[in-house]
Amino acid sequence: MKEVVEGSHAVSEAVRLARVQVMSAYPITPQTHIVEALSEYCAQGRMAGRFICVESEHSAMAAVIGAASGGARTFTATSSHGLALMHELLHWASAARLPIVMAEVNRALGPGWNIWMDQTDSLAQRDTGWIQLYCEDGQEALDTTLLAFRLAESADLPVMVVLDAFFLSHTYEPVDIPDQATADRFLPAYRPRIQLDTREPCALSQMAPPGCYMEMRYDIQAGMRRVPDLYTTAENDFEDIFGRRYGMLEAYRCEDAEIILAMAGTAVSTSRQVVDDLRDRGEKVGLLKIRMFRPFPTDLLRRLVGNAQKIAVLDRNFCFGLGGIFAQEIRAALYHGERQPSVFSYISGLGGRDVTPEIIEEIYRRSKSADHPEIESVWVGLDPGICPV
Amino acid sequence: MTYDPEIMKETPMRISRSNISTEINKTGSWRFVRPGYDEKTAPCSSACPVGEDIARIEMLVGQGMFPAAWETILRENPFPAVCGRVCFHPCERVCNRGRMDSPVGIHHLERFVGDLAIENAYAVPHPFYGDEAEADRRAIHGKKIAIAGAGPAGLSAAYFLTRLGHACDVFDADSEPGGVLRWGIPWYRLPEDALKAEISRIVDMGVNIYCRKPVTAEFLAGAAASYDAVFLGCGHGHSLQMGIPGGEKVQDGLRYLHDIRRGENTCSGGTAAVIGGGNTAVDVAQSLIRLGVDTVIVYRRRRRDMPAFDHEIRMALAEGIRLMELAAPVRIDNDGDRLTLTLQEMRITDMETAGGRCRVVPDGERTRILKVDQVYSAIGAEPSESWYRPPEQRPDVLRMSHCTLWAHPASGLPLVFGGDLTAPVRSVTDAVASGKQAAMMLDTLFREGKAGIPERIAQCRVGDGPALSMEIYLSGSRKSRNPAIVPYTAINTDYFTPADRAVPPTLSPLERRTAFEEVEGGYSPETAVREATRCFNCGICNDCDNCRLYCPEVAIYMDGTRCINLDYCKGCGICVVECPRNAMTLEEEQS
Amino acid sequence: MIRSPLPQTDYMTSGHVGCPGCGATVAMKFALRALGEKTMMVIPACCWAIIAGSHPQSSLKVPILHTAFATAGAAASGLRAALDMKGDTDTVVVAWAGDGGTFDIGFQALSGAVERNEDFIYVCYDNEAYMNTGVQRSSSTPFGTRTTTTPGSNWKQTRKKNIVEALAAHRIPYAATASIAFPEDMIRKFQRARMLKGGSRFIHVFATCPTGWRVPTDQCIKIARLAVQTRIFPLYEVTDGIHYTLNQDASPRPVRDYLQVQGRFSHLSEVDYDTIQGMVDEDWMLLKRKVGPWPSETDI
Repeated sequence: MKEVVEGSHAVSEAVRLARVQVMSAYPITPQTHIVEALSEYCAQGRMAGRFICVESEHSAMAAVIGAASGGARTFTATSSHGLALMHELLHWASAARLPIVMAEVNRALGPGWNIWMDQTDSLAQRDTGWIQLYCEDGQEALDTTLLAFRLAESADLPVMVVLDAFFLSHTYEPVDIPDQATADRFLPAYRPRIQLDTREPCALSQMAPPGCYMEMRYDIQAGMRRVPDLYTTAENDFEDIFGRRYGMLEAYRCEDAEIILAMAGTAVSTSRQVVDDLRDRGEKVGLLKIRMFRPFPTDLLRRLVGNAQKIAVLDRNFCFGLGGIFAQEIRAALYHGERQPSVFSYISGLGGRDVTPEIIEEIYRRSKSADHPEIESVWVGLDPGICPV
Repeated sequence: MTYDPEIMKETPMRISRSNISTEINKTGSWRFVRPGYDEKTAPCSSACPVGEDIARIEMLVGQGMFPAAWETILRENPFPAVCGRVCFHPCERVCNRGRMDSPVGIHHLERFVGDLAIENAYAVPHPFYGDEAEADRRAIHGKKIAIAGAGPAGLSAAYFLTRLGHACDVFDADSEPGGVLRWGIPWYRLPEDALKAEISRIVDMGVNIYCRKPVTAEFLAGAAASYDAVFLGCGHGHSLQMGIPGGEKVQDGLRYLHDIRRGENTCSGGTAAVIGGGNTAVDVAQSLIRLGVDTVIVYRRRRRDMPAFDHEIRMALAEGIRLMELAAPVRIDNDGDRLTLTLQEMRITDMETAGGRCRVVPDGERTRILKVDQVYSAIGAEPSESWYRPPEQRPDVLRMSHCTLWAHPASGLPLVFGGDLTAPVRSVTDAVASGKQAAMMLDTLFREGKAGIPERIAQCRVGDGPALSMEIYLSGSRKSRNPAIVPYTAINTDYFTPADRAVPPTLSPLERRTAFEEVEGGYSPETAVREATRCFNCGICNDCDNCRLYCPEVAIYMDGTRCINLDYCKGCGICVVECPRNAMTLEEEQS
Repeated sequence: MIRSPLPQTDYMTSGHVGCPGCGATVAMKFALRALGEKTMMVIPACCWAIIAGSHPQSSLKVPILHTAFATAGAAASGLRAALDMKGDTDTVVVAWAGDGGTFDIGFQALSGAVERNEDFIYVCYDNEAYMNTGVQRSSSTPFGTRTTTTPGSNWKQTRKKNIVEALAAHRIPYAATASIAFPEDMIRKFQRARMLKGGSRFIHVFATCPTGWRVPTDQCIKIARLAVQTRIFPLYEVTDGIHYTLNQDASPRPVRDYLQVQGRFSHLSEVDYDTIQGMVDEDWMLLKRKVGPWPSETDI
């Protein structure tokens, strides 16, 4: 049944439907609505889980690590500085192979304080061993969260479900919220592969000397390597039950495209419209939606770009000293591929700045007119008159 | 539904998770010092003339294991009830507990255990020393020994020789056995019941006692026909004479004590002087005052020089007996019904006697006169037969600390002289020690010959003292004990809180003067347990379990007894330091 | 002296790699004897993270969750929640942290957890510096101590943080100090803490570190005992943050007896001894005042 809900609450509904047993979070805008709703569900008795109101994100992640080690299905949510504070424990969760699911609402990092949309926070955690899935709208947020538990528990790796601040988290849309029985069909009760048990005592996450550390790291990567297959299997089931699927990447009108726009998050929706408009004008343009960032779906990407000559990547994030992060990853993924389209890197929409259809069109035009990409990322929409020193 | 978690989990997953214990690490290789259980010797047991295992006895009493405590005493001394009363308890003088507050009431505890055994008719255990071979000894080595004198030395010799598998006949001149215990020590110090019970226990072991049968020279000459050896422990039954004018008016103190024990003395009232400074003098004086006689002890030296045990002197003075020091009788005259005692006043000099006391000399011509109804002498005693004395040092004489071995010149029969005839200190307990030593000497003589005796005896010493242990002689568990004496500084006093020594009920001086009631009472079981737990149990393990409890390596385990797993022990030494009683030692690891 | 019967089963194994004479291992041994097999240990970075064993070994016969330095309070909260959700209320969750993980880096998570009154026992085995990293000062390091970060004449000039008071201020059901030199008392406190289900229990265990304190290994227990005897580490319990019970009453030994046997204090002068004695006396008076009678209503 469709209900008009906030993007945040779409996540909360999915967590409820997943019958999460232990949750822990610390409030931070724009994530707060997710955990407020969860607290409410617990208070109402709609959910049997335990919500631990910790005193920091660091503790929130520690608490769900503790709970997951105890064999519980766990969830947490955060954003920006909260995620940065968790950083140490993101490594801990993945190396302990704990299937924690976290909703991460993309928000800019200070200073200056900025609570608005920016992808740098989640992308900066790309080396922590977490699976990262980016969402475009409210339905996708709910579906992805539910899927995330299946994926996490089959891969024994934690999953980060990423949502744009406000554009998604605070936007109301009609969302089909499944009933519990249907959700249960998709996501059975958690059967932990690792858990502490007084009947079979062991130590978890103990010191790993040089003689074994590398092998343990290798197995995390081996786990990551399985994720595309596990994801596809899970999505097949999801489609059987719910009639929807999203893929790790989505290629929109890319079949004969000469230029493909690539990005993640809500800007995809805007771009879809721009692509349609450009197609109407006869431009051979396509759109690549990046849903899975970790593990990076290199093979799929290579197949989907087809015969396009140029890929124009819109990054709402930035890696100082190098450039847009999605652009780097795409460029690296295509380098040894059969075809090497030029990868154009554009930066826009940082810190909550709107990514308008005009900006997207400008990106397309600049990519079409240039023979080669600039060495550095091109910043689109900079206003030199802002904040004079 | 294609979701199958089992299929999904086919990939092995190496994570940092334990699957074995740390016991694979043999951390014992870190060690450069090695702890070990090393039971040592308590100062009390070394000071005890019979070498009783006092630390262990008190441990057992403290644990309420009274029969076991009694059996432990019996290994070294057949007379707990007697010695608990009459011993001068040198053990308490060296008790380490005395350095903290006051010594453990060792003699009270011994008496408590001894009395309890009599009251409850504890059976003498067998085998006795935990020595499996003990049962076989009788058949293989049984010899027959004649013992002259049924006093503490003779009875002790009989007891230990019987224990060692030999048969003993004890001969005594008197009408009942006991010697000095029966005739020389007054009732108020040693009730007859206690003595009789401990003697009958020896008789029950199979010792034959023949009374009114003094060992004569003729008997000795013919003894070789019936016996393999003779022990002479006849004591000093004959009082020394004063040798002054009017000396025949003096009554024999020893005889007097003997008569009282026989119930033959009815004298009462009047005044008396007792000449002498030994235990007999004090006993005579105390007996007199109980019969209503106003008594003064006259002694030629000072109180501090008196050979009598200090606690007995103190008790006598408390009862109202007066002491006249530095006064030597020179003559005794009749004065109607009374006697006039003329006393030469003495003074001390800078010189010392051979015994380490101050030499006294007459203080010019100064004399004093003492008028009394009776005079008793207790200036010392000697054997009643001159041949009871052991021969002087000669090549064929073997002198040990408490006994002298010689062969009868005519028959070659081994003769052991013991008890007061040879003991360095004339105490009941030294007499018992003498009997024990005689038993060891004869047993060794029978088994190994005379030459082996000194070494065997030396092996049986308790700590550094002269005391000998029969348990060690018989290779009991005590044999493994380190002879090193535990000093006070080796005690971990953190485990002991100051506590007053328990004092048993004692008759007041006034009550004492009315009758021959026993002066000192005994401990109740509760008091005994409390007092025994004051004991540090120096040098012996009392199962406090500190070593095992504190071991950071979990390297000490129980396998019947405590064992150290040297695979893991890192040699930190906590167990040794936290042993409250120095029953462990840390030694450098031999690489 | 005959001991009252203590639990006999050890849940710690030989072969661990604690330093010889390590007080923290003795502490764990006693704690687990009291707590029994239905126990889960949460151990952040600290000496015990090493002593508990490197992969694939464990020195404990109960489950251990190793966790990041600052997280003992939070990780234990999560583990507790998981067990509760699974219906296992019998197993006790114990956070087992050193003074760094308790007084310093882990204090926030600890404070947060006990404010929530999480149902666990938090144990700080206190060896009064960061020993695992090589003896650096912590906020538990007492006045007068030399460490590698308070070396030479820059020995620590500030007091040790009073962690039990800080915990009592959270008004948790139970807070107590314990010493490895007083096994009966310590085991009783752990047993009591285990019984008091439903809220946060905090036990501050004094654990000698022969390596860091520069004392002979065999003095481990002796020094812990001296700390109590000199009242520099008094034994007491606090229920509900307000009701204080002293577990010792013997007359004290001078604190110099404790200080002068340790290398970490060897530089101290007579004047310093007096200063520290003054601090000890002051703390004792403060404690005695708290142990004193509760005011009657008319006093309000």
